[in-house]
Amino acid sequence: MTAVVTSVQPDAPSDAVMELVGVRKTYPGPVEVLHGIDLTIGRGELLSIVGPSGSGKSTMLHLMGTLDLPTTGSVLIDGVDVATLSDRQLSSFRARTLGFVFQQFYLIDGVSAVDNVANGLLYSGVALGKRRSAAVAALKRVGLGHRLYSPPAKLSGGERQRVAIARALIARPAIVLADEPTGSLDTQTGQEVLSLLRELNGDGTTVIVITHDPAVAKAMDRQVTIRDGLIVSDVARTLEVAR
Amino acid sequence: MSTAAAVRPARLSLTDTVRVGASGLSARPLRSLLSALGIAIGIAAVTSVLGISASSQAALIAQLDSLGTNLLQVQAGQTFGGSTSSLPLTAEPMISRIAPVQVESSVATVSANAYRTHYIPSGETNGIQVKAAKTNLLQTLAGSMSEGSFLTSATENYPVVVLGDVAAQRLGFDHWIPNSLVDIGGQEYVVAGIMSPMPLAPDIDRSALMGYPQATKAFGMSSAPTTVYVRTSPDQVDAVGGVLPATVNPPNPNEVTVSQPSDALSARIAANDAFNSLFLGLGAVALLVGGVGIANVMVISVLERRSEIGLRRALGATKGNVRNQFLAESLLLAGAGGVAGVALGIIITLIYATTRNVQLVVPVSAVAGGIAISLLLGGIAGLYPAIRAARLSPTDALRSV
Repeated sequence: MTAVVTSVQPDAPSDAVMELVGVRKTYPGPVEVLHGIDLTIGRGELLSIVGPSGSGKSTMLHLMGTLDLPTTGSVLIDGVDVATLSDRQLSSFRARTLGFVFQQFYLIDGVSAVDNVANGLLYSGVALGKRRSAAVAALKRVGLGHRLYSPPAKLSGGERQRVAIARALIARPAIVLADEPTGSLDTQTGQEVLSLLRELNGDGTTVIVITHDPAVAKAMDRQVTIRDGLIVSDVARTLEVAR
Repeated sequence: MSTAAAVRPARLSLTDTVRVGASGLSARPLRSLLSALGIAIGIAAVTSVLGISASSQAALIAQLDSLGTNLLQVQAGQTFGGSTSSLPLTAEPMISRIAPVQVESSVATVSANAYRTHYIPSGETNGIQVKAAKTNLLQTLAGSMSEGSFLTSATENYPVVVLGDVAAQRLGFDHWIPNSLVDIGGQEYVVAGIMSPMPLAPDIDRSALMGYPQATKAFGMSSAPTTVYVRTSPDQVDAVGGVLPATVNPPNPNEVTVSQPSDALSARIAANDAFNSLFLGLGAVALLVGGVGIANVMVISVLERRSEIGLRRALGATKGNVRNQFLAESLLLAGAGGVAGVALGIIITLIYATTRNVQLVVPVSAVAGGIAISLLLGGIAGLYPAIRAARLSPTDALRSV
């Protein structure tokens, strides 16, 4: 059933930051989207989940991001089964442990870039002054130091995604979940974003990139391929890079 | 390891909640302005109705205070047989012997008419009464002269008249001209002055007053008064009123009528209150419509901003945070409308007070109540949309674009 074709587990699975155990997800219909996923992600990994549309990538993102709960099976983050947490606790988890980068940016209209990024710290109980200064630093880090006070409507698509990435980085989360992060960026900016994610990973953050683009997936240290709700391959290329 | 700390949710401070709510409003300024306007109009209506009525009442009360409620008016009533009686000659000396009486004065009707000149046909009397008056009448009635001077102990002996406000207008005096003349009983009288309106004695407004000695000389009038005005100590008004009939006319106390002219003004104050409730009802309807408008805007806002709700949930907002955000928006909308409405109401009251020349009075209860009611409306209007927003599942919210 769990048809793992190739399985090359990373060297330190004991220090798992996220574990998916026998995860199935059924939507009303009933339509089963995930047919039993077992996945262990170690602390500090740079990982891609790649698959064609309809393969269940977005559902994986929602489950790993605690935005939704599995129908059966369990999702463990830092060893905690997220199904045991209340809504308030899950929210707190997302605020401090998880960072999200969405394909559609989801910037709030009528709010400047700085305040959009500062929103990334809003629900962690950080004071406004600190939120703003951290937001300025994060925007400078993604190369938008000159666009601090522009509203999203005045930014290009690429700039908007960089604002969204800055917002995900600002809280220094343990895990960053990126849903097609380079989907609307040109190749060069896309490379910059990927190297930014890699830099973030170098600081110890676990980065999970969900993409349909094999080129983006290959830039990551480990590639998990899913198709029709099942993991079909799980390849680490650490050795290749080292070679 | 860090799990325990990470699981404890942070509370969003009040200022952060307000700031988040305000940013939602400032992103759609025109819509926010229009929906706050509904509440503003309702609150402005209520505030201005209360303010205008308070201002006009304050003016009436101030007028009443300055005129005094301690004035009594004594007139001849009717005999048992139904014929008109008259006050005895001794009425005034007897009244002045009542201890709490401070001052008394009188007028007596003179059977003559006043005309601007003797060329005026005798039928055109303009309803002006000619009366003889004591020189202390003005003081007793707390009246004042508009122009010129009242009768004095010198002028009361000569053909001199003082005109009431209405009488002066009807005789064609827009303002007083020294040494101008009017014709009374075929004789020319010098107009010594024009009185200001007297709310406590409207019949004096329509009279031309001359001195008792002149009236006796020219028209052979007996010096018995028609009306006696009595000022008493304020706390003895009822007691004096009780003994007046028997004092004035001991054999026939029933032929004496005693009244308190300030009663008419008090009645006007009471009448104002009844009229207000109608306008307050209209204001309440406007408020209700404003509240429905806010509820409508909030429901639309929640539908439109599903992705923002999803994003905020992903950033770590709890259901409570999302609910409070929309509730804060609604309260801010209604609160801003309430403050604007109170300001508008005060401006309307100010315009009324300035044009009517009365003092501006805005009841504190209208201001505080107006803002409190708008906040309450905002809370009620925002509650359902806010709960809907909070119940939205994060994945549904993110999927919906």
